[in-house]
Amino acid sequence: MSIRFKTLSELKKLLEKKEISSFELVSETFRNISSSKTNSFITLDEEAALSKAKDFDQGKVNGDLAGIPIAQKDLFCTKNLRTTCGSKILENFIPPYDATVVKNLSNAGSICVGKTNMDEFAMGSSNETSFYGTVRNPWSLDRVPGGSSGGSAAAVSEGLVCAATGTDTGGSIRQPAALCGITGIKPTYGRASRWGMIAFASSLDQAGTFARNAEDCALLLNHICSHDTKDTTSISDMQENYLVNLNNDLNGKTIGIIKEFDISSLNKEVQDSFEQSKKIFENLGANFVEISMPNIKLSVPTYYVVAPAECSSNLSRFDGVKYGYRAKNVENLEELYIKSRSEGFGDEVKRRILIGTYVLSAGFYDAYYKKAQQSRRMIKNDFVDAFSEVDIIMSPSSPSSAFKIGSKTEDPIEMYLEDLFTISSNLAGVPAMSIPHGFAKGLPIGLQLIGNYLEESKILNFAHQYQKNSDWHLKTPNLGESP
Amino acid sequence: MDNKTVETISYLARLQLDKDKKEKITKDLENIINFVDELQSLDTKDVAPLSNPLEKVASKREDSITSKSRKEAFLSNSPESDQDYFIVPKVVE
Repeated sequence: MSIRFKTLSELKKLLEKKEISSFELVSETFRNISSSKTNSFITLDEEAALSKAKDFDQGKVNGDLAGIPIAQKDLFCTKNLRTTCGSKILENFIPPYDATVVKNLSNAGSICVGKTNMDEFAMGSSNETSFYGTVRNPWSLDRVPGGSSGGSAAAVSEGLVCAATGTDTGGSIRQPAALCGITGIKPTYGRASRWGMIAFASSLDQAGTFARNAEDCALLLNHICSHDTKDTTSISDMQENYLVNLNNDLNGKTIGIIKEFDISSLNKEVQDSFEQSKKIFENLGANFVEISMPNIKLSVPTYYVVAPAECSSNLSRFDGVKYGYRAKNVENLEELYIKSRSEGFGDEVKRRILIGTYVLSAGFYDAYYKKAQQSRRMIKNDFVDAFSEVDIIMSPSSPSSAFKIGSKTEDPIEMYLEDLFTISSNLAGVPAMSIPHGFAKGLPIGLQLIGNYLEESKILNFAHQYQKNSDWHLKTPNLGESP
Repeated sequence: MDNKTVETISYLARLQLDKDKKEKITKDLENIINFVDELQSLDTKDVAPLSNPLEKVASKREDSITSKSRKEAFLSNSPESDQDYFIVPKVVE
């Protein structure tokens, strides 16, 4: 029996009916990974995974996700399993503890098969900044999978695993989900614990997940999200069961379209898909209204002050002393810091540390950092105002489908604009997801659904109803061949 | 963004740029700063800065020991250590 492209819920049923064993499931997963051409994984954990599968088959493991193989983005610390964050500087780092998200998923019985490739320290939108090589898009191997969670997105898209974790600081779940033709969700800031996530920009970072559909994402979020006293920004509100509201009626619900996102400037196929998706929701009884979010056009510049500032501070911990790469042949402590960091970090990470250092330095702090924090509040207020009128907001997830590897690496700003539609949700901290909704130039594109604070279940409800009335999420890549 | 500024911030960040990449990175930084300069057009009078989307106050807990000493586990990740210490080049004469 081929397990490729099966959903999490389908695999759960097969295990329950004992039509397949977890051992077979995990073995087949490793066979598929070994013949994959996408470079989705940095580190595999075959021995431990097979042993856990045996435990499940012997009835020793229970839980909602018991016996199901999944992948973890290599940004989550995994106890005794190498965690690189896509960087040379952490090439030999073996965490002594599990991230809360990893622990939660493990407690639910899932089996981690390995750590997925990613842009170095999650800084990138194409997975090309990884020290461990570019990930290739399963739909066309000469294209990028998006980033930064490119390995997780490609692994799910290619059917290597039915689910994988991701993190989203400016679009790092939604944009690769869109470019790989799968479903991905970033919950409200603070809904999932950041404990054990290697920090990039702490006020923006949020864990989430990729799967083949919204229903599976809901099931995964039930376990990924939790209140955690080890994360001071963790939300203590009651935990929801995200499966409960999936089938709510959309009749009379209101969807906002942001006037300032100029969709008419995008590729015709992207525009047409957007119109067709509107029709699907209209047929389900939803209404559309145009909303104005006047400050949203400043999201990308705001982000490229706030995120590098936090990154420059967070990444100062990498100094070659307590863990990570240490340069050889140094004469004093300062040289140890400088050489270890200069040899350990890649170019994009250095660029962002330098920008962050600049905007935080004396004389520039008010003009850049404080200004961006003020702009951030104005963007957040735009969302608060919008959600007083609408249930959810809808936009494309990214400006276009997957681009060719190497085509945007020379100009950082062109790359930064990939996240034009996703960045504002991180600045405001609201939940957002991407679902497949068509093709442009033969490659998948995504539809972004943004919800109000803590209304993950509402966007999941819209996404699930959309997927019950369309088949874009059922399309799979013709592996190894360009479209 | 000139060479001197790039040198200053590189030193503050404890980074050394490869000679052959310096020119490109200076130009990139200049472009990025020009790009974010768009923020200067925004009227932010009386707008309080927002540093965290939830504006939560960090919760406090009792100052008590919550986990066992895992000295060995942490030292084992160090590039160089002995039984009790991280080892670095000599800092005092």
